[in-house]
Amino acid sequence: MSLLEIENVSKRYGSETLALNSVAFSVEAGEFVAIIGPSGAGKSTLLRCINRLIDVSSGDIRFDGVSVPKLRGAALRRHRTQIGMIFQHYNLVNRLSVIENVLHGRLGYKNTLQGILGLYTEYEKREAVRILETLGLSEQMYKRCDQLSGGQKQRVGIARALVQQPKMLLCDEPIASLDPSSAKVIMDTLRDINQTMGITLLVNLHQVDVALHYAERIIGINRGQVIYDGPPQALNNEQIYQIYGSEAGELILDLKERYAA
Amino acid sequence: MEATIPSRRIQVRPRNRANIVIQVTLLTLTVLTLYGLVTIDARNVEFFAAFGDMLANFRVVLFEARLKNLSWFDLFRELMVTVGLGLLTTVFGAVPAFFFALFAAQNLAPRRVTDAVKAVMAFVRAVPTVLWVLFFAVTVGLGAAAAVIGMTFHSISYLVKAYAETFEELDEGALEALRASGANWWQTVFQAVVPSSASAILSWTFVRFEINFSVAIAMGATAGAGGIGYDMFMASSFYLDLRELGIFTYAVLIFAILLEWGATRLKETVGATR
Repeated sequence: MSLLEIENVSKRYGSETLALNSVAFSVEAGEFVAIIGPSGAGKSTLLRCINRLIDVSSGDIRFDGVSVPKLRGAALRRHRTQIGMIFQHYNLVNRLSVIENVLHGRLGYKNTLQGILGLYTEYEKREAVRILETLGLSEQMYKRCDQLSGGQKQRVGIARALVQQPKMLLCDEPIASLDPSSAKVIMDTLRDINQTMGITLLVNLHQVDVALHYAERIIGINRGQVIYDGPPQALNNEQIYQIYGSEAGELILDLKERYAA
Repeated sequence: MEATIPSRRIQVRPRNRANIVIQVTLLTLTVLTLYGLVTIDARNVEFFAAFGDMLANFRVVLFEARLKNLSWFDLFRELMVTVGLGLLTTVFGAVPAFFFALFAAQNLAPRRVTDAVKAVMAFVRAVPTVLWVLFFAVTVGLGAAAAVIGMTFHSISYLVKAYAETFEELDEGALEALRASGANWWQTVFQAVVPSSASAILSWTFVRFEINFSVAIAMGATAGAGGIGYDMFMASSFYLDLRELGIFTYAVLIFAILLEWGATRLKETVGATR
């Protein structure tokens, strides 16, 4: 059985906009999947349907054998603890320290009072420190998050997701606000997490070249529909133009470079 | 180029409805003010003589201030009664206001709930504090108790609006991130909403404390709540002692300045660390 099965999922905003149109695919445990497509294609909506930050209009999503659209209350929280999420704008609480932000990843496992007061166990704190060390942030541990650079903030975001001990990570444009060298650090970190910890990755990306370089599988989305689903090697220029709905030569990227390199 | 300029004057401000309404309103107010000045019933008071007397009274209040019926210790005690009234009603107001505000912020509660809370609070806020105090005086009698309840009532509604708008300004991303990791609503509130808005909440609470301090003076005079307001009332209308009134005025002024200074310092400290 696949870790994640998406069956005929549609999402409608109002009566006009169809953000997702009968999307169907499944993801095996341990896969590294990149989702590419133009802005407004429905990539972010798709990720948020998987952890139910957005409710689907129709169709079914099964994660680890559990049907997600019907989850409520405590069961929904338990589902969300299984899935870490990383955001383009990091979404940290800027006024809190790095370690506090990382420990926020444990909130889903705690009862309300423990969460309100920020009472974490020694084990959880040690885990947070260990993860920060592996990500090279041990010196920043007690700094406030608004004092960090973009690349550091994103690593805090990754640490917060990892401390959840998730089965899968959803990454929504993780490098879209970063400079090329920070972006490389983040993408290398994600690949490392995928390979050494066996965590499944679902990454929304704007950069087709990055997607082709890192991912084992590409899903191309345009206007809420899956246009391409397969390995990066099989993706040709024609299909990229189809995903981005543009004519040949209108994209900055051309695949010739890939074969030249 | 000359041909493109129309012959009649160019209208810079568009003649839309909003502008016309503003102009009509200003014109009406001007006419009413002039009418009021011309037809005012001065009751045979000589304008210039009265103005001179007023300045003379100001001089007595400000430059010949001294105590007579009260000792310095009494003055301090009475001032502290007024401060206590202001502080108490602010604290009593701030705690429930925080929780109500969570249900009045559109990014934290469903639309129907926020609309209901906001409507009730708008109603409470629309009635002036003094009226609430007099209203509660019917049930608990004129005095400190009515002042505390009435002022608390109005403080809650004021702070709910201020806090709720602070919460609505929050970065939606941080809330989303916590929700995505399985945090429940209360956890999100105390781990993301409170840390991010702490300094704004503190500053609004201090603004309300300043308001409550001045309202407490008025309540001492009008609702029998005691404190320096009552002494000011007695000095000005019963003993007709302008010099003692001067001391009270200075006491209030000095305390208000201290309050402002303290608030600024506190805000700086909270803003710097957290």
